[in-house]
Amino acid sequence: MKKIYHNLKIFFLFSRYSLRSTLDHRAGVFFFLFGKILRFSFFFFLIFLVFSKNQLLNGYNFTQAIIVFLTFNLIDTATQMVFREVYRFRPLVVSGEFDFILLKPYPVLLRLLFGGFDFLDLVVLFPLCFLFFYFLFQLPSINLFSLIAFFFLLINAFLISTSFHIIVLAMGILFTTVDHAIMIYRDITSFGRFPFDIYRKSLRDFLTFIIPVGVMFSFPPKALFGLLSFQNTIIAFLISLISLFLSLKIWQFALKKYQVGGN
Amino acid sequence: MNIGKNNQKMINKLEKRCKKNLTIIRTLCILVLVTIKEYFAYRLNFLLWRLRTFLNLLIILFLWEAGLKSSPSLLEKQAFFSYLIYAVTISYLVLGTRTTDIAGEINSGAIVNTLLKPISFFRFYFYKDLADKMINLSFALFEAFLALKIFQIKLLLPQQIVLGVILLANGIMISFFINLLLSFIGFWSREVWGPRFIFFILVSFLSGAYFPLNLLPKIIYLILLLTPFPYLYYLPTKIFLGERFPLFVIFLSFFWFFLTYLITKKIWRLGNKNFSFWGR
Repeated sequence: MKKIYHNLKIFFLFSRYSLRSTLDHRAGVFFFLFGKILRFSFFFFLIFLVFSKNQLLNGYNFTQAIIVFLTFNLIDTATQMVFREVYRFRPLVVSGEFDFILLKPYPVLLRLLFGGFDFLDLVVLFPLCFLFFYFLFQLPSINLFSLIAFFFLLINAFLISTSFHIIVLAMGILFTTVDHAIMIYRDITSFGRFPFDIYRKSLRDFLTFIIPVGVMFSFPPKALFGLLSFQNTIIAFLISLISLFLSLKIWQFALKKYQVGGN
Repeated sequence: MNIGKNNQKMINKLEKRCKKNLTIIRTLCILVLVTIKEYFAYRLNFLLWRLRTFLNLLIILFLWEAGLKSSPSLLEKQAFFSYLIYAVTISYLVLGTRTTDIAGEINSGAIVNTLLKPISFFRFYFYKDLADKMINLSFALFEAFLALKIFQIKLLLPQQIVLGVILLANGIMISFFINLLLSFIGFWSREVWGPRFIFFILVSFLSGAYFPLNLLPKIIYLILLLTPFPYLYYLPTKIFLGERFPLFVIFLSFFWFFLTYLITKKIWRLGNKNFSFWGR
């Protein structure tokens, strides 16, 4: 308990520093927020445009497709908000500054994963939640059970995302020539922006069971619409536990392989 | 006697011009080769970047495949998918750039090294851009081929090739100048990524990579035609697909080319006057 309190204190300290450095770049704050809102609006419009050609998108109506899109944005924004520091990891390895982090008296993953809380994403998260609830109440039938399942599957998605980010960190150590591993993760997850049923079965299975992006983004809205079986819900939780376990193993392996680069 | 002298002068002039042209071609070749070598020094990085772009293409094709499922006209589907494949492939030719490095060079002062080179700054970066475009296009063609196979698309053959190539060249130049302008922000501010981030988002939607712009409501479409975005790759793509446009739209493409050129030249001069650096 004492350890958790200690780590929480360090997390809040990092977050305070992060807020200060964000406020140092006022123009950057404006451009970032404007760009995010613009991108969100454009994709929203794209879905609207697709539905202007067709009433149903592989069985999904407009409200359902928007809920899938908003769920994707909620998970994506929340994970970016918490794990922003991962985006800045590679330069630390290349310059050798990673050594100094390893020497600090706190868990190294605490600093690398949670060390750069992004307050700008927090600002984006509020209107997203508002929009989500607006469209949620447009659904003709939702029950308490599906809402609870949705909530737990969101947490599950967050756990899977944590494992992805740990693997990206490990890749930063193992393959220093790769400078946008995190962006590859982002691109793969962008398959979740639209209902998964628009993809072919082989791709769908690959993205669900091999790279569990489908479990992250398509399972929560499916549970909400009452389309997810109990068996698949259990599989989703198992997948997140396995991926977290594997990612930690890969991280430990990468740490053993780490060699000081600079300094 | 005079005729002989004049001939000699002409020959000397021609020789000089040929030498100059040869030097330009040699410089172009060297810069293209160096840029290609730079790319292949980080092969895995580059391949992963191409993988990212291919994934994005797949997502859009899957989305529209589902969106057009109930469309009765096979021809409409064929034209739509042909548009998407052409637009995405052409976009790599238009948007591929190395000018993104300039802002960092301005901020670090390293731009001094480029300015000291015996080649015009604009030409130097244009040649580097050409190499970037060549590499990206060769991969994009392969990816387009893969997409055609996966989605079993019958591609429409290009038409109006001469006009299409002229407008494509305009698009390349407009993109080059806008990219330079975005980098020149570095002369006044260190916050250079923000405007580029917004430009990237605007281009990806308003230049027609996700859908043909004529799907938009007419008033929005007409307003959009007044901006530089459709002239980057929407217009060349549509021309290649055989669509006809009013003359003023073609004129606007040239208008944006000259306007962006003039603004870039002006900002470059202002930026140079404003630029100072120490320690190099």
